Amino acid sequence: MRIDIEDLHVAYAGRTVVAGAHLVAAEGEITGLVGPNGSGKSTLLRTVYRHLKPVAGRVLLAGTDLGELAPARWARHVAALPQERGSDFELTVREVVAMGRTPYKRAFAGEDAADRDIVARALTDVGMTEQAGRRFTDLSGGERQRVLLARAFAQDPDVLVLDEPTNHLDIRHQVELLALLRDRRRTTLVSLHDLNAAASVCDRLHVLHAGSVVASGTPREVLTPEVMAEVFAVRAAVVDHPLTGDPLIAFDHRTPTDQAPREHAPREHAPTDQAPREHAPTDQAPTGQASTAVASETGVRG
Amino acid sequence: MAFTLVRRKSAAPDRGGGLPAGPLAAVLAVLLLATLTAAVALGSTAIPPAEVWSVVARRLSGEAPRPGTDDLIVWQLRVPRALLAALVGAGLGLVGTAVQALVRNPLADPYLLGISNGASLGAVAAIVLGLGAGGTLGLGLSGAAFAGALATFALVWTVARRGGGFAPLRLVLAGVAIGQFLSGFTSYLVLRTGDEQQTHSVLFWLMGSLGGATWQLLAVPAAAVPLAALWLQARARGLNALLMGDETAAGLGVDVTRLRRELFTVTSVLTGVLVAVSGAIAFVALMVPHVCRLVVGGDHRRLLPVSALFGAVLLVVVDIVCRTAMDAQELPVGVVTSLLGAPALLYLLDRRLGSGT
Repeated sequence: MRIDIEDLHVAYAGRTVVAGAHLVAAEGEITGLVGPNGSGKSTLLRTVYRHLKPVAGRVLLAGTDLGELAPARWARHVAALPQERGSDFELTVREVVAMGRTPYKRAFAGEDAADRDIVARALTDVGMTEQAGRRFTDLSGGERQRVLLARAFAQDPDVLVLDEPTNHLDIRHQVELLALLRDRRRTTLVSLHDLNAAASVCDRLHVLHAGSVVASGTPREVLTPEVMAEVFAVRAAVVDHPLTGDPLIAFDHRTPTDQAPREHAPREHAPTDQAPREHAPTDQAPTGQASTAVASETGVRG
Repeated sequence: MAFTLVRRKSAAPDRGGGLPAGPLAAVLAVLLLATLTAAVALGSTAIPPAEVWSVVARRLSGEAPRPGTDDLIVWQLRVPRALLAALVGAGLGLVGTAVQALVRNPLADPYLLGISNGASLGAVAAIVLGLGAGGTLGLGLSGAAFAGALATFALVWTVARRGGGFAPLRLVLAGVAIGQFLSGFTSYLVLRTGDEQQTHSVLFWLMGSLGGATWQLLAVPAAAVPLAALWLQARARGLNALLMGDETAAGLGVDVTRLRRELFTVTSVLTGVLVAVSGAIAFVALMVPHVCRLVVGGDHRRLLPVSALFGAVLLVVVDIVCRTAMDAQELPVGVVTSLLGAPALLYLLDRRLGSGT
């Protein structure tokens, strides 16, 4: 099933965060959302899995508006992997995965054989069958994320919505998790911080900037040096990945774009007590590779 | 950290969901019957268990009670009291489990939401200002306590609702602040009264007691506790989802705002009912779900019934201790639950830290 988002406006904490976003997540494709911090990626996804309500505009699942389906009905088609970490309540891995059956079960209903099958398959898919009896909170970050993905699989959804699923994972676990997504060939809407990961795993990308979609297309069409400069405020070249042939964005970690014409100044390390963030005009601080950029900026100005 | 790692190894990796809940619940149910029998048999006048059941059987079958003191002691005094202990214990187990899911904190307690402070203020006001005096003292006191609980619920609701959605932190902060405010009032009322007898009865009530048990007093909790148990059991999956977070719960098709609103209402009303009939009994609501979670795991479909049964058994036993520990005088239940509960909680905390979380 496909997801259409039409002229979506969403407010969060009293502020309009998504303002007139349009996008399509096509059937069977992995659709990526990229954009700097605060561009509205998470807010948009939260609306799709119904944590937030739209102020205006529509979210359509195969043509049916979100408002026309009860939450549990919607959740049978759309499963989410939010950024939440869960808390310590003595739940086992298996119990967490079995939660995926929630939208299908009436009050007082137990799990039947079909539920147990689906849960077992989801555990196998993410390679966590052996760990099914362990306490969820005893797992490592990578294992937890795989379990939460299995919970989403157990929901047996037509659409997967994932918010920064590779956050806090080391590189090997990032690659593993993204491979799991690619294998499934399900309609997937995923926000990713890592543009190179997005370039290699997504079929199509939408770039969010200040709450609306400013570029859409294949990774090669969208991830251009111009978009890097205008949206992410960094200098970058786009080359072919020597191993995979995917677009590879090579960032210039030294030079913020507001100084782009300048050649690389020799880097001076400002003493830490003299690197006062409050003196640096924050609206000019680039958001992407902030720490490096701010350091070199203060270095140049000091 | 090294210590943590060493301790962690000892945690059984394959505990599964804990013990199977069905057999455990059956064992607890049998245990509850046994402790109820003991509670009726034991006391200043010991009555053999067989005699206890024969009195109860005669009463239940509608036969004329055998004349004598046994019938009076068993049927009029000890049975209602033992049943009240079981109902309040079960209710506290349920309400503790539900509030911990509501505010997503395994160390939360229904008294954290201020409801019991409001109930206490109502009860103390009734005692000190002489409301409900005369023959209906028991019901007047309970009525005032319940009114106090409902008024506090309305107040906390109004404050916590702002910004929408009853966020856990907001709910707790509103509850704690309003609760403190009300307990200041309670202290003032207690100090203002010069009457020593009044002060004593107020303090006794504040610490929690089952001494006021009558058949009449049992009616409301006997309806409220089973109803709340059913209501919560029907939402056990939703409670599970809340543990993982509001966004996760929403993604699982749970209407989070509505569930929170209803949970807050049900737990508040139940807390009000319990505090109205027994005072603010400390620690049971905090400790029972905790212990049960260690045994059957965190899934509410198992946790709720087991917590209710264990809470019932625990409070019946505690009340036996309260009635029999000292010759001349009864101990308030809250004193014993605090004495038991505080070390138990410290032990659990230590275990929790030890298991690396």
